[in-house]
Amino acid sequence: MFGPLSYSWAPYVKSSRTLYKWVKPVADWYANASGYRKYGFKYDDLLVEENPTVQRALTRLTEREKYDRAYRLKRASQASVLHAHIPKEQWTTPVEDNRYLKPHVTEVMKEEAERQMWDTVVVERK
Amino acid sequence: MLAARASRNVPRIARSFATVVDTTGVKVAAVDYNQPTSAVTVLVKGGSRFQTKEGVAHALKNFAFKSTAKRSALGSVRESELFGGVLSASLTREHLALTAEFMRGDESFFIDLLSSFVTSAKFTRHEFEEYVTPLIAAETEAAANDPAVRALEAAHALAFRSGLGSSLFAPAHSSITVADIKSFASSAFGKGNIAVIGTGIDQSTLSKLVEKGFAGAQAGASASAPTSSYFGGETRLDSHSGLQTVFIGFGTTGGPSAELAALSAHLSPQASVKWSKGLSPIADSIPHGASVQSVYLPYSDATLFGLLVQGSSTAQVKEAGKAAVKHLKAASQGIKEEEFKTAIAKAKFAAASAVESRDGLISVLGSKILAGSDASLDATLSSLEKVSASSFSKAASSLLNAKPTYVVVGDSHSLPYADELGL
Repeated sequence: MFGPLSYSWAPYVKSSRTLYKWVKPVADWYANASGYRKYGFKYDDLLVEENPTVQRALTRLTEREKYDRAYRLKRASQASVLHAHIPKEQWTTPVEDNRYLKPHVTEVMKEEAERQMWDTVVVERK
Repeated sequence: MLAARASRNVPRIARSFATVVDTTGVKVAAVDYNQPTSAVTVLVKGGSRFQTKEGVAHALKNFAFKSTAKRSALGSVRESELFGGVLSASLTREHLALTAEFMRGDESFFIDLLSSFVTSAKFTRHEFEEYVTPLIAAETEAAANDPAVRALEAAHALAFRSGLGSSLFAPAHSSITVADIKSFASSAFGKGNIAVIGTGIDQSTLSKLVEKGFAGAQAGASASAPTSSYFGGETRLDSHSGLQTVFIGFGTTGGPSAELAALSAHLSPQASVKWSKGLSPIADSIPHGASVQSVYLPYSDATLFGLLVQGSSTAQVKEAGKAAVKHLKAASQGIKEEEFKTAIAKAKFAAASAVESRDGLISVLGSKILAGSDASLDATLSSLEKVSASSFSKAASSLLNAKPTYVVVGDSHSLPYADELGL
């Protein structure tokens, strides 16, 4: 719950088809209304990166992904200075808003958990 | 009593050498000298001569024991530490060897670990960037700072150009990607390309475990590389660290020859007794501070033979090099009977004692086991016995008729040229 990805109801919601049908439109509306797409961001750009797990995950992006992420951050900073959204044709579309960083973060978390396991393992020789 | 013991020992030695068994396409050989530890080596015909891109074999070697479908890189290391085992990988021009050494009784875990890398390595991009690339860079850097290694790498490139000539080390700034390594691995890790060699382990136990572990390995024919041919040439490399180095080499094509092994033993100035000079004709004429080593590198279809001359000053190296060339030429014109006998005895001892160590056993018998031929030392020793003084000189003179491979590493302005040494 306190991990870098924080808590998500998504797996539970997705497990029930009815719930998913009801929640999905609200979720889509909410994602759009939160406004980050109007600054050209993707959701994973907002992920808190000030921790070692996400820092390590960031090193695992491809060169292209790293470049694009830096570009989006700079473009949004400039828009923030101007107190305006970026031009509408440059807004992030829902299709473009993919979780490019999340798989790497979960991978790093899994590795950390494994290291923790090996550091504290109790060995029984049969 | 001595005779009785000798007669008892002979068949036992003959029996204790590896016997090759084909287990579902993977060749398995085991020797057991009743050591307290066991070692299993997976020998893959995936050395640098088979590589598809410069440095891929080196990268694959450094990728060994990283994450597989069964366990992560960390898991492999921690688990083998708990068993008290040692994992290592080594690369030669012909073979890639993945070795696990462990206590007797832990074989099922370690063979599973080795086979899971061969059958299901993941080759992830982040592992390549985080763990493998720094290792490659460090090894390449270390090799670049060792004049002897640099001289031999350059000599191979001059002598054989492509194939055997390709370097064991990845270039300093390479463009190798994970995809390259993956495709090289998938071509190298075919069943016909793999031999499993165990020491200190029972043949049937090993066969059973190999059968289980390598069941998922892809069927693949044995890798083939174009036949080597010898070219030779001269190159001068600048180096600002280490000893002044000159390599005077000659190459032949065809399988390893006993004559060259004897020539190497004859010329090697290495002393058999500490604090003494060797019996080699070269030993007397080397100036103090310089050293000469004979280099005999037999490969499956070619041999590189040479003398590596090293010293702290170029003058010493020049003098030692002149002596080395003089005696190399003298050996091709004829050899005294007692010197010849000494050389044969030394060569036989070198061949026999190499098999004593695990690394030596793999390097000597590995290629024979992969080829499925008789994996014993008898052929090597009997071929050394068949060498005569005349065939020895003939082999030496035909070697010298070829164009020499001459490499200079160090202060290239003042180190001697090939003609200055009398080549």
